[in-house]
Amino acid sequence: MAEDIQQKLEQYRTAPFDARFPNQNQTRNCWQNYLDYYRCQKALDAKGVDTAPCDWYKRVYKSLCPLSWIEKWDTQREDGTFPGKI
Amino acid sequence: MAHQAHAYHMVDPSPWPLTGAIAALLMTSGLAIWFHFHSTVLMTLGLILLLLTMYQWWRDIIREGTFQGHHTPPVQKGLRYGMILFITSEVFFFLGFFWAFYHSSLAPTPELGGCWPPTGITPLDPFEVPLLNTAVLLASGVTVTWAHHSIMEGERKQAIQSLTLTILLGLYFTALQATEYYEAPFTIADGVYGSTFFVATGFHGLHVIIGSTFLAVCLLRQVQYHFTSEHHFGFEAAAWYWHFVDVVWLFLYVSIYWWGS
Repeated sequence: MAEDIQQKLEQYRTAPFDARFPNQNQTRNCWQNYLDYYRCQKALDAKGVDTAPCDWYKRVYKSLCPLSWIEKWDTQREDGTFPGKI
Repeated sequence: MAHQAHAYHMVDPSPWPLTGAIAALLMTSGLAIWFHFHSTVLMTLGLILLLLTMYQWWRDIIREGTFQGHHTPPVQKGLRYGMILFITSEVFFFLGFFWAFYHSSLAPTPELGGCWPPTGITPLDPFEVPLLNTAVLLASGVTVTWAHHSIMEGERKQAIQSLTLTILLGLYFTALQATEYYEAPFTIADGVYGSTFFVATGFHGLHVIIGSTFLAVCLLRQVQYHFTSEHHFGFEAAAWYWHFVDVVWLFLYVSIYWWGS
């Protein structure tokens, strides 16, 4: 699975179709991947395992999310005011 | 001397529609004056005029119906239609606020943390005072039905007792809700949760107060022998309104207090 993840990351062009978010409004897609990246980081860090698989989520949210949203959420996380559950 | 050859009520000229319209104008413009120029004079004047209009208009209806016999069966039918249509319009009024609540709570935005209740909101425990409130209103629905049957069966004393009990339950609900509002850990300014909660429950509370007042007027009328066992539409209208208020609460309780927690 780890080589698959490396392959997937190498072949990455843009966020693939995600059947969980089939409609025009992709806000939730961006939000979910942002959350999943940081949750993945937190979980794998806690186990002391390599966090490389988490990079998939990072690629996806970087492709989908408006930059201003990413900046806002990053600042909120630093301030401790991020409303999402990580 | 000419007599009416029909069963309908051709109402005498009355100034109350005009004073009511003037009151509406003064209250709305008074609201704007208050917002921009910090004076409540116009709005207060409008409010006083509104109260006077309501008192005198409804007093006149009672005179026409109870004392002058103008409320024949066809006229009463029209009043029934009127009350039903009014309550239906109120249903749509509340439907709007439920729409707003479900719009925001079924798909919570990232700003809220993507969850409902939103991050940082501690909702009220639905199994504490809100559950008591539900029991209080359900009980009041029973007592108002008891009052109706008492009136229909000519049981004067029981009608007065059960109607009084209904009103007391209504006041108890209002008092409980007031303390809940005072003690709540969130305010109307706390995002869309606060807005939907306080606007929906707030309008409901206002309707409880209106309904209790309507029932209180019925109590005064019952004491003064206005109602007969066959003809007591004012009471029936108040009872319909009261049941409507109870049903709205049940929807509020299930949607906002229970599911929404």
